[in-house]
Amino acid sequence: MKLQRKSSKYSLEDLLGPLNDIEKKYAPKEIFISGALSIPLASPRAAIIGSRKASPEGLEAARSIAKTLVKKGTIIVSGLAEGIDTSAHETAIEEGGRTIAVLGTPLEKVYPKKNESLQEIIMTQHLAISQFPNGYPIQRKNFVIRNRLMALISDASIIIEAGNTSGSLHQGWEALRLGRPLFIWHSILKNSSITWPNKMLQYGAMILEHPEEVMEVLPTSRRVIKVIP
Amino acid sequence: MTPMRLTELEFGSLLTYTPRGSSDKAINSRNVMLALKQEGFVEDSTGKTKLMSKWVAEKIQQKRQELPFTHFFQDNTVLVPIPKSSLIKQGSLWVPERIASALLEAGLGERVQKLITRVRPVQKAATSLPENRPWPRDHFNSLRVLETLKQPDEILLVDDVVTRGATLMGAANRLLESFPEATIRAFAVMRTISNSNQFEKLNDPCIGKITLRSFGDTLRRP
Repeated sequence: MKLQRKSSKYSLEDLLGPLNDIEKKYAPKEIFISGALSIPLASPRAAIIGSRKASPEGLEAARSIAKTLVKKGTIIVSGLAEGIDTSAHETAIEEGGRTIAVLGTPLEKVYPKKNESLQEIIMTQHLAISQFPNGYPIQRKNFVIRNRLMALISDASIIIEAGNTSGSLHQGWEALRLGRPLFIWHSILKNSSITWPNKMLQYGAMILEHPEEVMEVLPTSRRVIKVIP
Repeated sequence: MTPMRLTELEFGSLLTYTPRGSSDKAINSRNVMLALKQEGFVEDSTGKTKLMSKWVAEKIQQKRQELPFTHFFQDNTVLVPIPKSSLIKQGSLWVPERIASALLEAGLGERVQKLITRVRPVQKAATSLPENRPWPRDHFNSLRVLETLKQPDEILLVDDVVTRGATLMGAANRLLESFPEATIRAFAVMRTISNSNQFEKLNDPCIGKITLRSFGDTLRRP
């Protein structure tokens, strides 16, 4: 399945502003975007991510957090996957907010197929980003690479639900490496079979009890701060 | 009882920020703090974009003669970055280390030495309720001094933000155990003004004291 939308090539600095060397480490040299959001991107931006096979509670948490953040003018970033990602994007759109989809496929491809119309809306009225040029082969590892890019694009990341092998964990660790706030939705900790949250908490992740807490760590200005002495 | 012998620590800071307050200056101070904590970028007075740590270091170097903490930067000063409250993986952003390196690059201090490390995480002070914030003894107990062949005489602890000074006090006491002859001071780029009514401006260099009180907590003045 192919989408015939016009895409443009940018550098990540065009999109985000200057990057420090920790941020440059995995930053792609070029990215492809399609959509209507202004470049460079406005702040704040928060990623809401998690399982494809999410529980009803997880989906509701994603909706509730997205709703709260949208009300405060936050751009919702996610990966257009089934489950939590879809819930986050859809809520941002329904609530009149802005959303960014960071794809693990080239922009011309749709994955999963059931999100074709959502991707179409995002590629025309919001923003879709991919570091993979059209024609690039679709491989499993692309989604891991995409998760790192999503961490870099987002001022903070929130994991709503994720098993021990979830791709969201790659984003979590990358957010911690970048020194960006990483939140773990409190419900995850109730599941004793999941081992990763305690490890991430040791390395600086924070438990999210109330969506408003995210706002306290989000910048309200663009990437380059103008100092008022 | 925690064997913390040092009860007064001299500190200096360059900027202030307030966690509350809705004035443009207060909001700007918070954005500068967030940029500092993430090694972001600032536009200086000439319109040039600079990496936060470099901007801070250059600012200190340029105003060296008039800053109250000038004497912190001696020719033999060893800059010791404060570990994060969490554990840290190699290759991750460690802001105090970047500030210390930028200070050295600007000609301030003799060398950067990563003399202390966190062996177990403590609660993040910035995101904790006041009653849950770690105490100086928690920092002291979770920090270890790394072995070094070169004994420092003048130690300057380097941190991004100081609020109550609990981290600095715990770290200074840990270092004092290994280097009892050394002079230990602390520098934090920003100090927190918790009461937004008392916040005046971002640029507000100061020298002050962090005191370990008998109750076990710290008092920072100013």
